[in-house]
Amino acid sequence: MSSGSPAPSEFKGAQKMMKDYPKTIVAKDGTLVRLRPVVKADEEALRKFFAQIPEEEQWFLRENMTDQEFLRKWLNKMDYDQVFPIVAVKEDDGAILASITLYRSASPAIRHVVHLRIMVHPEYRSLRLGSWLILDSVKLSMDLGVEKVIAEFVAGVEDAAGAAAAKLDFQQEGVLREYVKDRQGKYRDLIIMVRNLHKDWSDF
Amino acid sequence: MERFLTLPSEANNDSERHMKIVVEETHKGTLTFRSHCPPSFIEGLQMESGLGHFAHYSSIIPNVGAFETIARNKAGRVTLALIDPKLVVGYGVCWYPDKEDRWSALGDLMYEMAAVEVSRNFRGLHVGRRIMDLTMDDDFFEDKITYMVGLSWHWDLEGKGLTAAQYRRMMMDLYSPYGFREVYTNEPNITLKPENVMMIRTGSRVSEEDQKKFRYLRFGIKQPK
Repeated sequence: MSSGSPAPSEFKGAQKMMKDYPKTIVAKDGTLVRLRPVVKADEEALRKFFAQIPEEEQWFLRENMTDQEFLRKWLNKMDYDQVFPIVAVKEDDGAILASITLYRSASPAIRHVVHLRIMVHPEYRSLRLGSWLILDSVKLSMDLGVEKVIAEFVAGVEDAAGAAAAKLDFQQEGVLREYVKDRQGKYRDLIIMVRNLHKDWSDF
Repeated sequence: MERFLTLPSEANNDSERHMKIVVEETHKGTLTFRSHCPPSFIEGLQMESGLGHFAHYSSIIPNVGAFETIARNKAGRVTLALIDPKLVVGYGVCWYPDKEDRWSALGDLMYEMAAVEVSRNFRGLHVGRRIMDLTMDDDFFEDKITYMVGLSWHWDLEGKGLTAAQYRRMMMDLYSPYGFREVYTNEPNITLKPENVMMIRTGSRVSEEDQKKFRYLRFGIKQPK
């Protein structure tokens, strides 16, 4: 398909992408789920969501999202051009089932790169919510003019999420051996997966 | 300069009664846009050289004969942009989904905006926008869930000099002023590449129940719980 519309001179900012949400999906079990950006009013729902993540997994989070004070500050200083969190919420009661956050540096040297962090509620895993969130993030990254999406997974802990990313064409580009320690003090590898968003038409 | 012409008073079929005509002067000549083109009007037209087969891209509609077939089908619509006055420089075509298509499960509720294409030689003149204006200016769409599917392997990335991501955004910018918005689906062709896009426009008279059925159908569920 083609059209005579003028080419977009540049990609739009994250704030403008807000209008593309919410997006509705139906999970494998028929649950209606909405994907939408996080807003300040989500504080309590986010705290509850992260509180239900097993402590073994919370351990690997870079921020303590169950700390109410921290969460409030995080939400208050949120700048969608650098941190764009999206949640998957249950349509009937608004409970948060999964979250993904796109981190994008303000530095022009790495402005073309986005880092993803994803978390799915333990009771809602294997419904492909993580896959939909990753896909949504890739589409959003394209719309933002991003060229490279990076996701990191702790080996032996986040393998399912890594497998979901692999199905969406993320390639393993590196392993940081014994990079993280789990709660028991055991070293674990950090798998770095990258999805290149083709810059040139001839790549297709 | 732009002027709207009156509709043909001797119109003798439904298509001709709905036909709208817009004439627009451009630096490439006088363009005439016609919606609801009936088969009788299409006969004798020719495709302009910027539509057709190219190294990395082929037009969705290969020849004017295909327009005649579409116009003859139930509720098939053809909107044309013409110059000279028999050369087709752009088109929009719509139809009900094929019975093999997932979306046909909801019968006449679903209607596909199948293609909008502009000749390589006439791009940048807002031809696509004008085709959309004429096509969408119809109460018919208020009873329909109208959808478009953008598959990147059909896009003229080379001719437009755009990346797939830019082209995707351009498609969305073309359709969104008419009430289309992106939706997600697990339809295999659409999910094959993240740049692919499905957009829908829900008519004002489409019931909540039908919207719900469509929402589930997008994910391959025929009977909502």
